[in-house]
Amino acid sequence: MKRILIGTLFAAASFNAFAVAPGGPGCGWGNMLFEGQSGLPSHLVASITNGTSGNATFGMTSGTNGCDTSGRLAYNGKPMLVLGSIMNELSEDVARGEGEALTTYAVVLGIQPEDRDHFAAVTHAHFSEIFPSADVTAEQVHAATLSVMRQDAVLAKYAEQA
Amino acid sequence: MLRCLVPLLLGSLCLQAQAKPQLTQEQRDALASDRFWLTLGHYQPARWGGWRSYVDDNAFFLASNGGESPAAELSATLDGLYASAALGNDHVQCRYPSRTRWLREQLNLKDLPTPNCSEYNEWYEDIAPHSTVLVFPDAYLNSPSSMFGHTLLRIDSPETAGSGTSLLTYALNFGAMVENMDNGVLYAWKGLAGGYPGQFSLLPYRDKISEYSRLENRDLWEYQLDLSPEETARMVEHVWELRQVRFDYYFFDENCSFRLLELLEVARPSLRLTDQFPLTAIPADTVRAVREAGLITEVNYRPARERELLARAAPLTADEARWVTRLAGDSAQLQSSTFAALPRERQALIQEAAYRLARYEASGKARDSADAANSYALLQAINRNPPPALNIETPTYPEFGHESRTWQLAAGSREDRAFAEYGLRMAYHDLADNLAGFPLGAQIELGDIRLRQYEGNHWQLEQLELVNIRSLTPRSALLKPWSWQVATGWERVAGENGNHRLVPHLNGGGGFAWQPWDSVLGYSLATLRLEHHRDFDAPLSAAAGFNLGLLWRNPLGSLLAEGRSDYFDNGEVRRSLALAQQWELSRNLGLRLQASREFSQFSAPQTEFALQLRWYHY
Repeated sequence: MKRILIGTLFAAASFNAFAVAPGGPGCGWGNMLFEGQSGLPSHLVASITNGTSGNATFGMTSGTNGCDTSGRLAYNGKPMLVLGSIMNELSEDVARGEGEALTTYAVVLGIQPEDRDHFAAVTHAHFSEIFPSADVTAEQVHAATLSVMRQDAVLAKYAEQA
Repeated sequence: MLRCLVPLLLGSLCLQAQAKPQLTQEQRDALASDRFWLTLGHYQPARWGGWRSYVDDNAFFLASNGGESPAAELSATLDGLYASAALGNDHVQCRYPSRTRWLREQLNLKDLPTPNCSEYNEWYEDIAPHSTVLVFPDAYLNSPSSMFGHTLLRIDSPETAGSGTSLLTYALNFGAMVENMDNGVLYAWKGLAGGYPGQFSLLPYRDKISEYSRLENRDLWEYQLDLSPEETARMVEHVWELRQVRFDYYFFDENCSFRLLELLEVARPSLRLTDQFPLTAIPADTVRAVREAGLITEVNYRPARERELLARAAPLTADEARWVTRLAGDSAQLQSSTFAALPRERQALIQEAAYRLARYEASGKARDSADAANSYALLQAINRNPPPALNIETPTYPEFGHESRTWQLAAGSREDRAFAEYGLRMAYHDLADNLAGFPLGAQIELGDIRLRQYEGNHWQLEQLELVNIRSLTPRSALLKPWSWQVATGWERVAGENGNHRLVPHLNGGGGFAWQPWDSVLGYSLATLRLEHHRDFDAPLSAAAGFNLGLLWRNPLGSLLAEGRSDYFDNGEVRRSLALAQQWELSRNLGLRLQASREFSQFSAPQTEFALQLRWYHY
């Protein structure tokens, strides 16, 4: 996994002058809940020109939040990259027991379609363990999710492969 | 491995042996004038004959005159295809996968060197293009800059397509690249005038959702396109050729929507989309063109966060709405005995609305740990007592709204003089226009010209409006937005001796709007006005005043009743009462009855009636 990450990062850097390492300042892995969206510098003109400012991008770097999301967005062993950027939505969905971010999280964790409703129900029931405080980080959420899954007969197998 | 290497080695050894096909002048010119080749180079007919590319970037062209000569560019590309495979990622085949594929097919090239395009391959595999979604962030009322909407593409991989995981997909966006921050006005001007280069960018789609749905409160429309995996792949291939390539960016024509139409033509060369937009490409119109081309198979509506908040709060009583505000500010109130005494299912609604309000207010701000703890406490409450799912009815699809340009034909009388009036408005919608597909209370008009022919064949310019924007956003128990308006152009006002003078003016206003019932919107705005009136002593006169109005949705259409007053610095007081009822005949046809009475110190009150046919066309 690390190799792929570094590889894509390298690729990104070669067509972009800038690239921030995953987990770099203001980004990614360490994200807490309710991390503010950094507003576009000038909302008005940004939407006139549909532009991105300065660090606009091509390829795999995300310019709008100072956060590098190099690497495949999806799947297979890289839930962290996704998780950091959908923490808020995910916390809402887990609290309610359904939603797009929760589905996405299930897919990223490799949970098969037939078990996704169950995953939603289990995480909903364990909201306070997965999100124990407002200051929880994406890493902790990931670890807590796996530990909740391990205690569940159906989900345990997914926790092992993750 | 060896099997791959051998031809590679042979390839570079036998470079001389590899003969690039010798094209006759005619063959080359025929290929270079093929529509697909012209599309790949983004060529358009130049004004004085020949060709000119929309691409404003020499790095995109291999030939020094490639920007003007599709044939020279074709020759240079063909040369490059046969360059040594050792060039690797810099090889023409790696830089221009679309050109390579097309030329290989056209010329049946079988002996091309095989460079290792590792960068491109990695990039392509990462995107894994499979299907395409056209995304249209709708215009938002209170943001004039978003007024025409925007379009972008979403590229789904085989795994994400149809699996409810569009958060994992990529968005392909064309927008201006703003390198250093100019101030707002300059920024806006340069954006309109083409001062910023436009570039494609590829971002996680979820970033785009946050940007539009959270920060800008714009609804997103997602149109699944009927493009095959091969067609999607062809388009993404071409996008690689456009990385870091600068286009001119103009707000009205060479904008995001136009560029995306070009890409769709690359995906499916038989499409003719760009031809329909020689002058302006308004995003909603381009969506319509895509719809008419039969490309849309499915539509998904993603309401903005603000709309979700308002929908959640809609069934609440005034007292419950007060609880929402209270809880959003202080979650400790959840423990209060009065809140606990409310029915449990009402608590569920209130808590969730409060959470949404708290997040709404925090959007665009840096993290505040007290706020975060507050929101977290509300989330815990939601978790203990979850509300029923929020169902928001899908509004009329924006592409089913009336067309953008309007022809107007009117007959009427002013005092005792009859007139006919002919008008054309370049864009887009006013308060009383056919409403389906547009938000109530939004008006954006650009380039509205009306000529009047009084009896006796006396012609005059009645009005030339450059811009007229009104944004009437109702205040509710939870949200307290401002309403505002701005307009500039030439219009006729009262003058000496009963003359109706044409004056240039600039005016604006701000205030509040309310929506006591779904079908009624009332507003009240304080206004300022500057005008040049030849019957005034000063070259420029200023006025302060107010607008009061009522917009009523009735079975026929919309009725707008409005009173305006302007108190000028020179003592003139100008007031008017106006009434307009639109009868929505069909999607692109409306009949409007207008009546007004104008008061001025120059003359006795003047009354005007008119019946106007409005044809929304293209």
